[in-house]
Amino acid sequence: MELSDSVVKGLQTLADPACFDFRAFTAFTEVAFDSLLSSRTDRALDLPELKKIDQALLKHCHVATTTFILEGIKQNADKSTISSCLEDVKFDSERVDAFYTSYQKNKRNLESLLSSIDRCPPHITDASWRLEYCMKNGHVHNVNQPTFLISFNTEDGGNEGTSSDVNFSCTLEQLQDLVGKMKDAAKSMERATQL
Amino acid sequence: MHMTLVKRIVGEFGRIAVEFLKKGSNPKIYEGAARKLNVPSETIQHGVEGLMYLLTESSKLMISDVDFQDSVLVLGFSEELNKLLLQLYLENRKEIRQILGELAPSLPHYQNLEWRLDVQLASRALRQQVKPTVTMKLHLKSGGTQTARLFQTDPATLLHLLQELERALAEVKSNHCRRILRNIK
Repeated sequence: MELSDSVVKGLQTLADPACFDFRAFTAFTEVAFDSLLSSRTDRALDLPELKKIDQALLKHCHVATTTFILEGIKQNADKSTISSCLEDVKFDSERVDAFYTSYQKNKRNLESLLSSIDRCPPHITDASWRLEYCMKNGHVHNVNQPTFLISFNTEDGGNEGTSSDVNFSCTLEQLQDLVGKMKDAAKSMERATQL
Repeated sequence: MHMTLVKRIVGEFGRIAVEFLKKGSNPKIYEGAARKLNVPSETIQHGVEGLMYLLTESSKLMISDVDFQDSVLVLGFSEELNKLLLQLYLENRKEIRQILGELAPSLPHYQNLEWRLDVQLASRALRQQVKPTVTMKLHLKSGGTQTARLFQTDPATLLHLLQELERALAEVKSNHCRRILRNIK
């Protein structure tokens, strides 16, 4: 894994028992992982174990650690890659193991997080429908036809999940056509997963 | 004027009226006809527009043959002419109703759905993925304009959407709906 000088320096500081004793190290590592996964990130570094450490240094280490974690997850780094990187920045074996345990524990959730950062067309999350019987309107009387109003709820991946809707109407035949085509897609998908 | 000539003229006006309903009016036609018949073009215009109104109102209300004939009786035309007008009405009412229907307020309606199955392998944020996605292009028509919107969804949501929409379809066959559809005519 390619790491920038700043990240290397930050990790080296984290490895140094003079800066972080083992208790501070474990508390800090926990915070680093949590800060990536939770949305409450203010005052995350405000722990008693970390009080003795210079704030600026703490921030630098935090950036370095979180960058390292995300790089590892992004590339699906295995145990040997993580371990050798940490050894290169002077982590002793106790710290390597402690770090890797946390890494494994949080890996899945972090992968989900990164996977959801995506540029994609609006993502449909739900559908609602309404069945109406149209009797007449201002321009045509005696219509007497059932109509469906369909609404697809969508989420726009990029902007914090802003949702929007697409609304359209269709006749019975049109809805049957729509459902038929979606069924084709679902069947194809099923067949593809069985390959 | 001679009866056959009148019949021909009414027939022609009727044809023009229907054309105008389908494709929009064209004032030049009035001038051409006015010159041929040696009358002011406003007269032609009123004649054609009168016929258009007759046809749209009759189609809108979906009136029966008898009611239509009773209505045109007041115009004092000959029986042959009335038959001609009735024929014009019956032949074109379905299409006229369709055109009128497009004037009513409505949401864009469904035209077509295209779909595509993809597997996302990597992104800038995460490598080594296997993420199946379904991309869909929904074609809608609103008034005269066609639009196409692109969407994406995942396999689980696709199945959920299908379930919901199938429930909607099933509802039409329910007793409640059948009763309403049967009795409100």
